[in-house]
Amino acid sequence: MKPAVTFSLLLILVIALSLVNLVYGGVSIPFERLLDILAHQGDGVDSIILWDIRLPRAIATILGGAILSVSGLLLQVYFRNPVVGPFILGISSGATLMVSLVMLTTLFLKLPFHSPYITTAFGMVGSFLVVAVVVAVASRVKSGITLLIVGLMVGYMCHSVTSILMAFAEKQQIKGFVLWQLGSFNGFKWDEIGLLFMAGVPLMIMAYGLSKPLNALLLGEDYALSMGIDVRKTRMALLFVACALAGLITALAGPVAFIGLAVPHMARMIFATSDNRILIPGVILTGALVTSLCDLVARNLLSPVELPLSAITAFFGAPVVISLLMKRRVKL
Amino acid sequence: MTVERGDNILEISSLSIGYDNTTVVSGIDLHFKRGQLVCILGPNGAGKTTLLRVLSRHLKPISGKIVLKGRELSSYTQLELARVMAVVLTERVAPPLFSVYQFVALGRYPYTDFLGRLKPDDDKAVQDALALVGADMLSQRDFQGLSDGERQKVLLARALCQGPEVLILDEPTAHLDLKHRLEVMGILRNLTRERGILVIASLHDVDVAAKVADVVVMVKDGKITEWGPPEEVLKAKKVESLYELENAVFSSKLGTLELPAKGQGPQVFVVGGNGEGAGVMRLLAKKGFKVSTGVLFKNDLDYFVARALGANILSQEPSGSISRDMLLRAEKLLSNCLFLVDALPVGIEAFKGNQRLVERARELGIEVVSKDVDLLNLEHLIKDASRVTFKPRLCTAKEARNDFFD
Repeated sequence: MKPAVTFSLLLILVIALSLVNLVYGGVSIPFERLLDILAHQGDGVDSIILWDIRLPRAIATILGGAILSVSGLLLQVYFRNPVVGPFILGISSGATLMVSLVMLTTLFLKLPFHSPYITTAFGMVGSFLVVAVVVAVASRVKSGITLLIVGLMVGYMCHSVTSILMAFAEKQQIKGFVLWQLGSFNGFKWDEIGLLFMAGVPLMIMAYGLSKPLNALLLGEDYALSMGIDVRKTRMALLFVACALAGLITALAGPVAFIGLAVPHMARMIFATSDNRILIPGVILTGALVTSLCDLVARNLLSPVELPLSAITAFFGAPVVISLLMKRRVKL
Repeated sequence: MTVERGDNILEISSLSIGYDNTTVVSGIDLHFKRGQLVCILGPNGAGKTTLLRVLSRHLKPISGKIVLKGRELSSYTQLELARVMAVVLTERVAPPLFSVYQFVALGRYPYTDFLGRLKPDDDKAVQDALALVGADMLSQRDFQGLSDGERQKVLLARALCQGPEVLILDEPTAHLDLKHRLEVMGILRNLTRERGILVIASLHDVDVAAKVADVVVMVKDGKITEWGPPEEVLKAKKVESLYELENAVFSSKLGTLELPAKGQGPQVFVVGGNGEGAGVMRLLAKKGFKVSTGVLFKNDLDYFVARALGANILSQEPSGSISRDMLLRAEKLLSNCLFLVDALPVGIEAFKGNQRLVERARELGIEVVSKDVDLLNLEHLIKDASRVTFKPRLCTAKEARNDFFD
């Protein structure tokens, strides 16, 4: 199948699934009513549900899934390791730690402005710090296993600091933080969507701009250099985009597991290529689709109890990693 | 494309190379022309790869100067360099889900737009490169599914479609079977002849280098010990000291290494000539026999093989027929031999004299074995030999040489 056909199919599926997400839920909104509300914003209960809850959530899910997946793809190329992703490398944990500093302590209460910008900024700083540590280690040790273990360990350290902060925090703050930490696209406000859009879309366009050198990096640094790439600059740009994306989404939606790791593999299978010029738009659509699907399941499987999003993504994502290892496509 | 010959495309002067502050090789002065096939030889760890990495600018030199096409190497931008120089490395690359065609097309990187789209020119370059290495049949195959030999050819094609004037290869024949090894070296030689590309490759096989290289560079003990055409450089003693060979002898005439095996025990006489005895002598030497042979002309293939194997040789300058004097000396040698292998060339007048040796052996009661008889089954001949104890042993190159020049 030509990539263009696959892209169109995926796009149609994303739109269809999003419509289902808008219609379906605790309160069902009939499809005709949905179009009516979307066309002329009324002030009925269903209108409020749609405009203030479901629509922001559906958009955040699409953007979030796309952002996590692009971040994961970039990291997999960077480390030439197929089982890395923002969550595995501890990047999400770094972001979590920094976000917990904002949410759980009073250190920043005096600042004149507040979330979402300050949380987002801290989330990004956290992810950059963790990656700095992992990259420093990766430059000394080539082994993929070591890299993963370092990522996990840094993740644990971040967790431990986070939990110490939790022990000292006040109950009310903890409740909000725990909910955030489960990872969810629930409760997005329009200004947060705006932030996600304004930061996320340019970053993803930058990622697409990097797709040519990314392809060359698939052959390793030495070959890439011999083909005329400024490897240092490319790597810096690559890492910057990957971390900024991961930090952005973690700060706003909380840590969401496995999307960043599993979706690039799904896209590779769907498009049967490693060509990043196809894969980057590919993971954007696949990521949006998979995350929307997971969110639909999380909201409705045991309704009215809403399941944490990470529970669903991990449940489907972990087997992907295991099957990759079993097939021996992955060398650690 | 016109091939400019004569000018030095690459000039290296007082170069020192190494890692951090450890110098690996210093005082390097070399210059190469377009269309040359340069082989870098030396033992493991001598710095062959280091030298190549400095030339391809993967590693900064410690000091010294490298001039490529009249410009200092360090003054090239990465992209400019990529259009002049391509590499094939030892690092195993196997990106998943790449067709051979897509993989080779990555070599067009320095020429394509910022999304790497292929224009008709680029497609043509990819097809040319694939055809040049004889891999056009593979173009739709999955890169990961290739055999070692096929992969090496495809890696070569990728480098070629980069349109290089200088091609640098690190151990291009390592891990390859004989067929692919020869194929790859043949391709490299064609590139130099037909495209005027300067090819610089590190190699393990001296014998291959002797046969294909225009220039060989020997790296050992932190310096370039010798460099120049293999015909001048690859002399027995130089090769043996390069690799510190103790059990092998390099024959510059044969362009190959032989294992001289001077058996302690059974002496065997081989009557050969015209290259007929070479195979038999190798076999006997391998089995640990001490080989004597004669009478040979000094331009015979058998003569060179016998020398390299460290055999006792009775030889004479090439002339009409075998001299009586030599035959008498051969008969003396014959009396100590366990058996004689008759590998006389049939119907060549010049060797008629040697027929006398076969007859003499019969008179002395020494077994005469035809070389067509199953020589691999030598056990019964050895068992019969109650007068000798059979102790095969490798002699050193030095012993073997002393033997010839006595």
